Amino acid sequence: MSEVVILQLIGLTVIGCGTLILLFVRAQFARVIGFVAIVLGLFTLVALSVPQMASLPPVEEKFDIATVKTPTDMATIGQKIFFSKGQCALCHTIGPSESARCPDLKGIGAKLSREFIFESLTQPQAYIYLDYRHEGVPKEYPARMPYINKNPIGLSKNEILSVIAFLQQMSGEPISVNVSELEAPGQAPAAPVKAAQSDPVAVAQAH
Amino acid sequence: MGGSLLKPVILIGIVYAILKFIVPNIPGSAPLPSSLIFLYLMLTTSGIVIFATLSGESKDAFWGPIQRFLTGENIGGLQVLRYAVLLLFPLIVGWQTYSSTATSDAPPAENRTIHPAPPGEYTGLSNPVSKTPDAIQQGKGFYAAFCSPCHGGNFDGKGPAARGFNPPPANFSDPTTIAMLQESYLFWRIKKGGVGLPIEGMPWKSAMPRWEVELPDEWIWKIIMGEYDGAHQSPRTWE
Amino acid sequence: MRHQSGWIQRLLQAGSGQGGMLSGLLMAAGLLSLPALAFGADVSPAAATEYRDIPYIGSRNLVWIVAQLHLLLAGFVLGVPIFAWLCEVVAWKTGEKRYDKLAKEFTKLLTSAYATTALFGGILLFLLISFYPKLMNYLTDIFFPSFIVYCLLFLVETATLYLYWYGWDAMQDGGKKTFHIFLGFLLNFFAFFIMIVPNSWATFQASPVVLAEGSDIARAWAATWNPTWWPVNIHRLIANVVLGGYICGAYAGIRYLSARSTEERDHYDWMGYVGNFIGVFGLLPLPFAGYWLMREIYQYNQQMGITLMGGFLSWLFILQAMLIGVLFLGSNYYFWLGITYRIPGSELKYRKPMLSMLIILLLCLGVWMTPHSLVASLEEARKMGGTHHPLLGVFGVMSAKMTVANLMILVTFMSFIMYWRAGKQETATWAKVARSIMGGVLVLAGIAVIILGVWGYFVPAIIRINYFSTSQVLIVLFVMLTITPLTALLLKSAKTTTDMVWGKMPPRAGYALVLNAIMVILLMTLMGYARSSSRVHWHVYGVLRDSSQYAFSPALGYAAAFMALNTFCFCMIVAFIFWVATMSDKAKASHG
Repeated sequence: MSEVVILQLIGLTVIGCGTLILLFVRAQFARVIGFVAIVLGLFTLVALSVPQMASLPPVEEKFDIATVKTPTDMATIGQKIFFSKGQCALCHTIGPSESARCPDLKGIGAKLSREFIFESLTQPQAYIYLDYRHEGVPKEYPARMPYINKNPIGLSKNEILSVIAFLQQMSGEPISVNVSELEAPGQAPAAPVKAAQSDPVAVAQAH
Repeated sequence: MGGSLLKPVILIGIVYAILKFIVPNIPGSAPLPSSLIFLYLMLTTSGIVIFATLSGESKDAFWGPIQRFLTGENIGGLQVLRYAVLLLFPLIVGWQTYSSTATSDAPPAENRTIHPAPPGEYTGLSNPVSKTPDAIQQGKGFYAAFCSPCHGGNFDGKGPAARGFNPPPANFSDPTTIAMLQESYLFWRIKKGGVGLPIEGMPWKSAMPRWEVELPDEWIWKIIMGEYDGAHQSPRTWE
Repeated sequence: MRHQSGWIQRLLQAGSGQGGMLSGLLMAAGLLSLPALAFGADVSPAAATEYRDIPYIGSRNLVWIVAQLHLLLAGFVLGVPIFAWLCEVVAWKTGEKRYDKLAKEFTKLLTSAYATTALFGGILLFLLISFYPKLMNYLTDIFFPSFIVYCLLFLVETATLYLYWYGWDAMQDGGKKTFHIFLGFLLNFFAFFIMIVPNSWATFQASPVVLAEGSDIARAWAATWNPTWWPVNIHRLIANVVLGGYICGAYAGIRYLSARSTEERDHYDWMGYVGNFIGVFGLLPLPFAGYWLMREIYQYNQQMGITLMGGFLSWLFILQAMLIGVLFLGSNYYFWLGITYRIPGSELKYRKPMLSMLIILLLCLGVWMTPHSLVASLEEARKMGGTHHPLLGVFGVMSAKMTVANLMILVTFMSFIMYWRAGKQETATWAKVARSIMGGVLVLAGIAVIILGVWGYFVPAIIRINYFSTSQVLIVLFVMLTITPLTALLLKSAKTTTDMVWGKMPPRAGYALVLNAIMVILLMTLMGYARSSSRVHWHVYGVLRDSSQYAFSPALGYAAAFMALNTFCFCMIVAFIFWVATMSDKAKASHG
């Protein structure tokens, strides 16, 4: 028997018990319980009669350099990172929005050079873009840009380059990031140093 | 007996007849699925019960005959009928339970979600093409070439090839389709096509091609602009 | 990389387990000298447990039950003080002692109800720490300043509650009573903050914001002010009033059904009337708050909005419409029963208006419950050309639902006004003018709401959402705000032709009250499921992914079984609390 059928039978049983209580029991509190049982059983049956859809989580995707052949592939990955791991879309919108807490990124890939975008992501306080959408003196935006290459977001260089590729593609620009710039894991020169920083105890023990 | 019971029965009959025979014959309408008729009849019944039990007298007039019939007090010739009802009712419930749990070869009821949620990476996109008459005109041109065979030259989902498909191509001039959605949603649907739908959208049913293999993104954005303009709808926005 | 560093740790653990510290160190040194493995160490400590599970019931299901019961109890202990305080204020202003008695009767519940809520909160916390260490670490890291604020709030709230309850009899007259009322206000004031602080944790999970570096307090503050925080606060505040009112009604209904003496019958009949009244009072603005919340969610993230409204949760809103419909019908039914039974001789006079209101309510409900995508067999779908009905499909979208919700609110408000005026004869000279103005306002408002609803199909979505729907709400509010004082003024000089007779209601009125309470509780459990499953496979939407085996969201039928179970458990707990609290009264009554 499928799960739905079992639950239906349970619902019917509960309703049956409730009906029996209402028919044969005189004690008021028990009768109210019987009534509640009928109502809850009916609700469950109705809920079981509508389309049953469970929502399954999508497969977790990993950034695999071997699959990246063209700049467009990078942009596709960058698009996913922009809207998930990178958390960019929590503040930034692409296109104007009244609730925007940060600069609008529409056409940003055409306005800014890729070096500038890279700097904005890794040294966000170096140049702060102000809000000119109102009269008078420009203001700072309410949200502060975090360091994208550090925790908690912590995108790798490859991921940041992919996001830049996506921003350029979205602005209708030719993608200036090249696939050859991606670093294969393990060859990254900074990695062992980073490991030492993050785990000094282990290093100390090793010596 | 039955005077006050006759009216409700007639009323339910009338409502049923309207839903079954009159509504489908209104121009532009279609027969209602039984689930919807059942829902409306249930509402009618609950309305009757509520109205009949509003006061002591009306409740007695409504419930009294039913009670007398079920308990078998002074109903004379109707005794046989009473036994028949008392026997038949459990049988019907049992049969209903059996038939709903038994395996059958009938296809399951159709419950495809027509506008499932898009994947996260498509939710925040905006149209990079600026809205100029030229771009819209170009978009309409692309639409005529790629989309109109199914979705129709009038944007009504009635293209020459539409008849073959179930589910039918979307009717863009209907205010409950593209007017409810943001441009990025259309971009996702055009780019990924039927196979890109999540499970609840039943990707195996839709015949929409995956246009990302044929058209560049810019064309798709232009098609979207042409579509909205041609169907006299505007996309959902937040400004 | 992850599994490699886990392997290192396991090796280290194995080494130290045998007491060979040195061998462990050597092993670590050897392993770390390999650059590839050292690179793996930058995700350490990766071997930290992310999830734990228990057999049979499953960690998610257990947390589901406990969290839902905690939330319902919390709604109850936050709703009852509002209810009690309102009654106390009414007693203070009008001098009607029975309101004061009612307020006290409910405040008495609060001490044991608070303890039970805290108990479930504690269980929930332990379960969460045990089952979801990854998530709890993450949330603690962000929110720990507000955890401390939460604890402090609990201290002051408990102290205020003790003063409020134990000082009830001591502070009965004059300035002391004023102070007691102030204490009641403070109680609700702190309770409000006790509600909104955890709301920030829950809403952050649904609509997180990016956190830049900064002090702990700055980070917690930024995370607290997330886009859905205030909509949820308002929605829950109103819903708690509704819950408090209807539970009071249900309690009165049960006591009324089992009452033996006329005195008891009178008292509980009246109590049911007050409970239903306060419940309806909260119910009328509730859909507006819900609409606002939904709008913010949609605006925050299109994906979440569509998941709820058009995607896999769309059927949930049909169930919600059914429950709200029953609630509206039940509340009106109780009003109408009240008119026919409590005001002798009014039955014939009001039968026609009641019939027309019933028909409007049912038509509205029919529209509200018509889904956009219908359940149809293959044959039926082919005849319709898809699962949209070409004609009735227009009922399936927001414009129609918003319109009928407003109309149902208007009708319920009319029921209330009708009940208020029943059995009284207006004597004012301008009564006739006032009556026609009121009728005109109601009819015009209804027509305006419908026109805006139909027009909404022909304008861009944003105009409908920002202007049309808002106008509909404002029209309904305007009607309430003009007719209520006008009626009050009119009835001030009216002479009562027939007095209300208490204790004459039939048993089905008691059951109607119970039904309403069940509907409210079921609605809360249903929306709890909606809130949780709209995040789909995320703990924190878009930020922290649920990688446990319970990352899927169950189908509605399965979830409904849990909702029913939770509702039943909650009713039993509340019944127990009432039973404990009234035990001494009964003993006193039987001795005295």
